[in-house]
Amino acid sequence: MKAYWPFVVVGLTAGSVYALAAMGLVVTYTTSGVFNFAHGATGMFATFVFYQWRDAMPTWLAFVLVVLVLAPLFGAFVDSVLLRRLAGAPPSVYVVASLGLLVALQGTALVVFDVRLRQAEPIFPQGTLRLAGVNVGYDQAWIVGIAAVAAVALALFFRRTHLGLQTRAVIADGELTELVGADSRRITTFSWMLGSSFAALSGILLAPSIGLDAVILTLLVVQAFGAASVGRLTNLPLTYGGALGIGILAALSTKFVTEYRGLAGVPSSLPFLVLFGVLVLSPKGTFREVVETSARTARRKERRTRPLSARAGVLLLAAAVALPSLLTGSQLVTATATVAFVLIFASLGLLVGLSRQVSLCHATFAVIGATTLAHLLSAGLPFPVALLAAGLVVAPVGALIAIPALRLSGLFLALATFGFGVAAQYLLFSTGLLFGEDQRAIIGRPGAFGISLRGDAAFYYFTLAVVVLGIVAVEVVRRTRLGRLLRALADSPDGVMSIGINPTASRVLVFALSAFLAAVAGGLLGALYQRFNTYTLDFFQSLVWLTVLVTAGAVSLGGSVLAAFLFVAVPSFFTRISGFGDYEPIFFGVAAVLLAQAPDGLVGLLHPPDFSALATRVAWRREESWHRDRREAVC
Amino acid sequence: MLTLSGVRAGYGRLEVLRGVDLTVPEGCAVALLGANGAGKTTLLRVAAGLLGTTYGTVRLAGREADSARPHRRARRGLCLIPEGRGIFRPLTVRENIAMFCAGRDTAAGIETVTAAFPVLGERLSQRAGTLSGGQQQMLAVSRALLGDYQLILADELSVGLAPVIVDEILATIDVLRRQGRSLLIVEQYVDRVLEIADYVYILHKGQIAFVGEPAQCRQSGVFERYLGAVAG
Repeated sequence: MKAYWPFVVVGLTAGSVYALAAMGLVVTYTTSGVFNFAHGATGMFATFVFYQWRDAMPTWLAFVLVVLVLAPLFGAFVDSVLLRRLAGAPPSVYVVASLGLLVALQGTALVVFDVRLRQAEPIFPQGTLRLAGVNVGYDQAWIVGIAAVAAVALALFFRRTHLGLQTRAVIADGELTELVGADSRRITTFSWMLGSSFAALSGILLAPSIGLDAVILTLLVVQAFGAASVGRLTNLPLTYGGALGIGILAALSTKFVTEYRGLAGVPSSLPFLVLFGVLVLSPKGTFREVVETSARTARRKERRTRPLSARAGVLLLAAAVALPSLLTGSQLVTATATVAFVLIFASLGLLVGLSRQVSLCHATFAVIGATTLAHLLSAGLPFPVALLAAGLVVAPVGALIAIPALRLSGLFLALATFGFGVAAQYLLFSTGLLFGEDQRAIIGRPGAFGISLRGDAAFYYFTLAVVVLGIVAVEVVRRTRLGRLLRALADSPDGVMSIGINPTASRVLVFALSAFLAAVAGGLLGALYQRFNTYTLDFFQSLVWLTVLVTAGAVSLGGSVLAAFLFVAVPSFFTRISGFGDYEPIFFGVAAVLLAQAPDGLVGLLHPPDFSALATRVAWRREESWHRDRREAVC
Repeated sequence: MLTLSGVRAGYGRLEVLRGVDLTVPEGCAVALLGANGAGKTTLLRVAAGLLGTTYGTVRLAGREADSARPHRRARRGLCLIPEGRGIFRPLTVRENIAMFCAGRDTAAGIETVTAAFPVLGERLSQRAGTLSGGQQQMLAVSRALLGDYQLILADELSVGLAPVIVDEILATIDVLRRQGRSLLIVEQYVDRVLEIADYVYILHKGQIAFVGEPAQCRQSGVFERYLGAVAG
């Protein structure tokens, strides 16, 4: 038993940090209804600022400035400037907006700070004390103590102060809170400030043990998701307990998995396994959005979405066919990648644009597609058959993800797919099942039916043909019964069920199809670059793809084309301008926040202005005056 | 006390109020009647600031109030008791009263409430959502007794309540009227509300179809025309 205690201490410390992050997350979620995917990124950013300022001023001053001034100001900014515009929008809009914020923050950190992994100087005195026969570091004791004090303080705040009472009142009923004369916006803003402070605090406490790394910091605080899910995203004590539990379990599992190489990913993915497990295994109805989207308050911009016209499609295709003769070498590779990404975005658009389901594991589908292709090719299958088979292997994986999709809506589905993506990266990627022993998949381009695909131009045309087929499939779905059904489901699941249609089949089908297409596109990308490692498409890519697609326009095919162009072609064109690539995620992140509510994205802006609203208005007035004239005539 | 002039409002493209003029004179009780979907609740929401107008103005206590958010209007003396959900369900009765008192003396507030509804005094530590329907509505109505509200908008207070409870609630409304507060009441028991009201407005398809005193509308046959044969 004694051998376990050091692990418990380590786990308790990590769990305390998770708890701080998770409690901040829960506070903002319950008061504003916005699950802040950028919570970890906020903590990361604050942590970098803290450790930079610390070089110039006393630690306590930097701490006060960052945790009590800067972070709250940022929280207030996010709430009042970025998110308030979205009031009443469906949950998927908030998911996209906060993901955009995450991507933008991450991108900004890469530009502003020196993000090469470096050690963070410890903030607590060094040394250990002996507690019941176990060595406990002073820093560990401090962290556990701070988290416990913060948890108690938060509980007291909610129970004993009038502002805490008001906050709980806003959670219960925001409108009524306004009616009794309390400013619900101010209260919500305060909770964002509070949440932001907690994010900053957790990041600062975590940094000395893991180092200053933008990605890891963002992610480790994001591990709080698991803890928050234990607390049903709403219950603070359960969240605190869940965080400690996850921390301890993860630490203990490190002791066990040292013996099994294949399980090396378990400790780091444990929070996500918890997240995925809790979401999927809880009884139906356990997870409900705290804020109901009411049709009354939803200010949805209903713009007509126009599918890419046949003429534009033909023109694009002609341009795509003519392209290889104009391009050379690396340009052609870029063009091929762009075409392959059209399919990736089209497959994502099928979910995000059509059935309004957010998938945050599309990169995972693409990776499994590419690695499966590698395995099948080395088994001797012809390339097109192997590509098709790789897609068919991934389709059931998509169907598996659809299981939570049946039970969960909006935010919780996004969280479940997020959990799946991260867990897959940590658990599957490291086992050698996908990438083999040397963690690298080599994908050749042998050829098909006597035609060699080794040449770049040949492979370009092959890719183009496959992508056109895939897009035709997407368009067929969009315009036939399944598409209508999915749109109807996005609008009102109850309505669809009430007319006697079982939504299960269509939801499973659309996820499977989307995964299939993403896998095929992943296979094409793999064959294009001919090698694939675990970092080529990490799960963070899934998040970036979503922001890019939303920026370009998730609803229409034109959006997918524009997304691929913006994401692949434009950056590679500008690589010579130094640093352009660094600003790219910032652009997409900010654009996604701004365009989260316009499903048409940039493509929608290209449309001519909508005169129909004006027309109906004028027509209505004319009708009214016509009636009046009639009445007067009759009298 | 409250004046709506030429108010148009709705949800998205659906226009519910189509040019409504309505006045609640100081110290008077006004009944707002109309069929389902006529726009009664929408009118109250517009008056309280929960829903913006697309056209027209709202004046509260003689001052323009269009740009004032709901909590500002509440501080200016407007109290809307919304239909069916005038309480914070997860909070205890005591916490509800503390919210209603808005930071002022909660102990005095509890005394006022328990004097009006003794049964609530026994349930101060109970979650409001677990009270019976009648007790929940008593708690909701007691908000009008607290604070310095000069204008009370009551939306369907009697829905789903036993007749005895309805008597008790309407008695409180009558007390409020006698205290000189202005009232705008939406109510399904037309006869009961006509006993209290000084004026009657009938809303029909988003427009005011009738304005008058209770005696007038009993005679003129407007009930048959706008409310169906139920009332009379």
